[in-house]
Amino acid sequence: MRSERLKGHLDLLLMSVLSRGPGHGYEVITRLRERSDGAFELPEGTVYPALHRLEEAGLLASAWDVVAGRRRRIYRLTPAGAAALAEQADQWREFSGSVARVLGTPAAGMTWRPLPRGAPA
Amino acid sequence: MTRHAADAPGDAVEDYLDRLLLTLSGSPRQVRYTLAEVEAHLRDAVAEGMAAGLTEPQAQARAVRRMGPVTGVTGHRTGLARPSLALGRRLMLTAALIGGAGFVAIGGAGLIARALLAVKGDAFLTAPWPQASYTRADCARWLAGDPGARSCVTAMLADHAGDFLLQATAAGLLGLLALAGYLVLAQQWRDRATRTALPAGTAEALGTALAAVAAVACVGTALDTEMTQRGIGAGEPWSLGVAAAVAAAVFALALRRTLRRTRPG
Repeated sequence: MRSERLKGHLDLLLMSVLSRGPGHGYEVITRLRERSDGAFELPEGTVYPALHRLEEAGLLASAWDVVAGRRRRIYRLTPAGAAALAEQADQWREFSGSVARVLGTPAAGMTWRPLPRGAPA
Repeated sequence: MTRHAADAPGDAVEDYLDRLLLTLSGSPRQVRYTLAEVEAHLRDAVAEGMAAGLTEPQAQARAVRRMGPVTGVTGHRTGLARPSLALGRRLMLTAALIGGAGFVAIGGAGLIARALLAVKGDAFLTAPWPQASYTRADCARWLAGDPGARSCVTAMLADHAGDFLLQATAAGLLGLLALAGYLVLAQQWRDRATRTALPAGTAEALGTALAAVAAVACVGTALDTEMTQRGIGAGEPWSLGVAAAVAAAVFALALRRTLRRTRPG
C-alpha cells in the first residue's frame, strides 16, 4: 500500500499495535508489517515523529530500558490513548463500512474495470 | 561483527546517523534520544538482515533504505539537510551580532563624545576644516544653524560636533535593532545544523579581533592628533577608540565563556 495513503491512519495503527503490549520503535514497525501481512510498508523512520507526537499528546508514554544488550525507548499506550484508540477505531469502522456499502460487491464472475476514457459516468 | 567506530569507512549506518544528527532540531536531550532510538532500530535491522544471510554491508544498506530519508525521522519535510543553508543562517547570525555590537559601540562613542564635549568643548571633539576648503556660503549655513556663534569656525565646530553626535545616536539605534533581530533569529534557528555550521566561538573571536583593530586604530589616531594638533579634534577618535576597546573586552569575555562551555570533558 502506498505510504502516502497510510500516513493519515498511522496514529490509529500505531496505537492499535501498542494496545497489544509495549514495544520499542523497531518492534512496533515489525508488528505493523506482520499484522498487515506485509501490506503496510512505509519508510520506517516515519514512525518516530508519529510516536513522539502521540507521546506529547499524552496518548503514549515511554521509558528507557535495556533489551538484548541495547538501550531502547519502550512505548506503551496510556489510558487516554486507549480511549482515543477506541474512539478512532469506531470512526474508522463506520467510515470503511460506509465506503464498502457504496462500492458494493462485484457480481459473480465479474471484476471491477476502469471506465474507458470519455465514457459517460 | 558490527563496527561502532565513528570513523568506520563505508558504514552506511554511521553515515545515516551523521546525516540525521545534522538534521535534527530540538533540545540536546531530544536529539540524543532520537539518535539513540534510531541507532538501536538500525542495529536491530542490520542484525536481522545478517541473520537472514546478507553480508554486513548489504544488511546495512537494506536497513538504511527501509528507514527512509532522514527528513522522515525528523518529521520536517524541508529539514536542514543542506549544509549551505545552515551555514548561510550561521553567517547571517554572526553578521547581525558583530554588526549590531559594532553599531551599539558607535552609539556608546556618541555618549562618551557628549561627555568630552561638555568638559573640553567643540574644538576638542572635531577639528576645523582648512580655511581654503570652505566657502562663504558654508559659513553662512553654519552661522544660521548657530546664531550665537562668535565666528564661522566656532559655528563650523558646533555643526560638525552635532553631526557626529547625531550619526552616533542613529548608529546606536540601528545596532540595537540588529541585536534584537539577532536574538529573534537565534531563537528560531536553534537547530543543531545551524548552531554547528561554524566552530564554537567564531562570532566572538571575530568580534574581538575587529573591535581590537578598531580600538588600536582609533587610539593611535587620537594620540597622533594630541601630539601634532595639540589635541584639536582628538575627541572623536578617543571616544571611538574607548568604545571599541570596551566592545573588544566584551567579545573577549564572551569568547572565553563559550570556549569554557564547549571544552571537551
